[in-house]
Amino acid sequence: MVDPSSDVPCDAVQMSAIIETSDLVMEFPSTRALDGLDVRVPSGVTGLVGANGAGKTTLISLVLGLLQPTSGTVRVLGLDPSIDGPRLRAMIGYGPERNVLPDDMQAYDFVRHFAQVRGLPHDEARSRASDSLYLVGLGEERFRALGTMSTGQRQRVKLAQAIAADPSLIVLDEPTDGLDPVQRDEMLGIIVDVNRKFGIDVMLSSHVLEEVERICDHVVALDAGRLVAQGSMTELAGALGGVEVELVDLADLPGSIDAVERQLLDRGVVVRRLDFSLSVSGATDDELFNAVVGAVASAGARVKTLGRRRRTLDDVFTSDIVASGQPEGAS
Amino acid sequence: MNQPPPPSSPPPPSPAAASGAQIVDRGFQRYDGPRAGVGQAIRSVSWQSIRSTLGLGRPARHKIFPVLAIAIAYVPAITFVGLSVIVGDILDPNEIADYAGYYGFITAAILLFAGLVAPEVLVGDRRNGMLAMYLSTPLKRSTYLVAKVVAVLLTLALVTLGPPLLLLIGYTFENAGPDGPGDWLVVLLRIFMSAFAVCGALTAVSMAAASLTDRRAFASIGVVLLALASPAVASALVEGAELSPNWRLIDVFSMPFELVFRIFGEPGNFPELSTLSVVAVNLGWTLGGIVVVVWRYSRLVVAR
Repeated sequence: MVDPSSDVPCDAVQMSAIIETSDLVMEFPSTRALDGLDVRVPSGVTGLVGANGAGKTTLISLVLGLLQPTSGTVRVLGLDPSIDGPRLRAMIGYGPERNVLPDDMQAYDFVRHFAQVRGLPHDEARSRASDSLYLVGLGEERFRALGTMSTGQRQRVKLAQAIAADPSLIVLDEPTDGLDPVQRDEMLGIIVDVNRKFGIDVMLSSHVLEEVERICDHVVALDAGRLVAQGSMTELAGALGGVEVELVDLADLPGSIDAVERQLLDRGVVVRRLDFSLSVSGATDDELFNAVVGAVASAGARVKTLGRRRRTLDDVFTSDIVASGQPEGAS
Repeated sequence: MNQPPPPSSPPPPSPAAASGAQIVDRGFQRYDGPRAGVGQAIRSVSWQSIRSTLGLGRPARHKIFPVLAIAIAYVPAITFVGLSVIVGDILDPNEIADYAGYYGFITAAILLFAGLVAPEVLVGDRRNGMLAMYLSTPLKRSTYLVAKVVAVLLTLALVTLGPPLLLLIGYTFENAGPDGPGDWLVVLLRIFMSAFAVCGALTAVSMAAASLTDRRAFASIGVVLLALASPAVASALVEGAELSPNWRLIDVFSMPFELVFRIFGEPGNFPELSTLSVVAVNLGWTLGGIVVVVWRYSRLVVAR
């Protein structure tokens, strides 16, 4: 991030956003996929989150210049995709969500081909295809036909072809789709490495909030084509969001948890219940702790765990914003 | 007693350093070397498309069809050159097959290729998402299409340019070729013009068919049906209904070959048609096909 107090020229400060949209609208004949989107994506790993149909893929298509916006502007790495498309796309690697890999082709040939199409000279494309496949853990498998590879391996091949031409930015559409938990962890680790070790900015779309929370520095959350939140992960999900208490379900005191919940509600705090756990918010932490301890003591309930509750991305997305029905920008 | 070297003295050079060798980390690194432009992207996509169409680097079953078509195209040329070697003294090889008439022997191969190549090159990319992949690179729709047109043209040239060239070279070595370097160059030029005429029209028509459907088989069948039906309809109109001979011009499959005869200065199969009208109708089919492809791809919504 650029320090606002430094002597960096204004234009350079503007450039610190790798992707910037202004009042971006994308309409298809039957639907408005994006509705007045103002997004600013800084350098780092950025998660683009939202349910299916939120507009993630449409935004990615606009970033790549595959679609022309109905209105509004997009700037990526300081360039307009609709004007400087070829020049811009030479600096971007893209990993699609769909399984687009030709079954008959070897992984090495596929990665080398796209490295060449993205502008690497022939010999360089050959060596970097191997290097990229080694980086994603497919060095020994690089001459296998893509059709014989597992879903996890094919996702890695898509990542390898995205980075082979050494882009400034890679855009990955659902890179962990179809992966089991172990494969997902490995894939997320590689993506983080690509950013941290080689300084390649990453924007990845996902509908799995937990994985975005784990690896992303920044988040852009969309819902029904509108921006519901954007900002750094610390700003959005790192804040303390109240107190969480998990109670023991006592056989000899069956209504104790209900009683605790009722008493807390009577004190005017916000309570969300999930089985034997209560998430309490709506006051200062000290007040909440006192309220919980008082309610538990009064109801005769038994506490299993009690602690400060960390606000998750799920809270940001599903509860705080979607439930309110008021889209907002968090930063 | 030997004194140890002072700490500041440099260690003796290792054999590797002395030879200038160095250990290079071959792992993934940033790249700051030169980058090629769109031209290389076009060449790479064209070459990859040609490889895919011919089944190169693919399992054997993908090679059967192209090998068959190429064999059909080249076997007559090899046979005629062989005949000129064996009976060239008593028979003028040009009496067996001249350059313009050669296409009459290989129309099946050309039809097979025209029906196969363009759908293979175009339809697959749209269906499996590779089109979006290509358009996420420095390629635009226009440059992508240029790459694909080049691929189809060069692949079709395998069966339209290669065999007559083989015939020319074979006849030349048997002293049955054109008289003198000037005539030889004229024939060579005519062969190239003929191949380009046939490739151009068939490439445009087959790519237009391939751009209109997302089913490879439908596109192939469409091309073959058009090639078979249009001569039949033209004959029915001219010979059956006794309409103007100009109705022959709707015969999309025969007109490129008719143009070949005119290029070689021969009257062709339909001497009642003027050369100008034959040239015009071939240009029309070629341009019409291009317009359809460009129109279709300009309207195509490619997202992700």
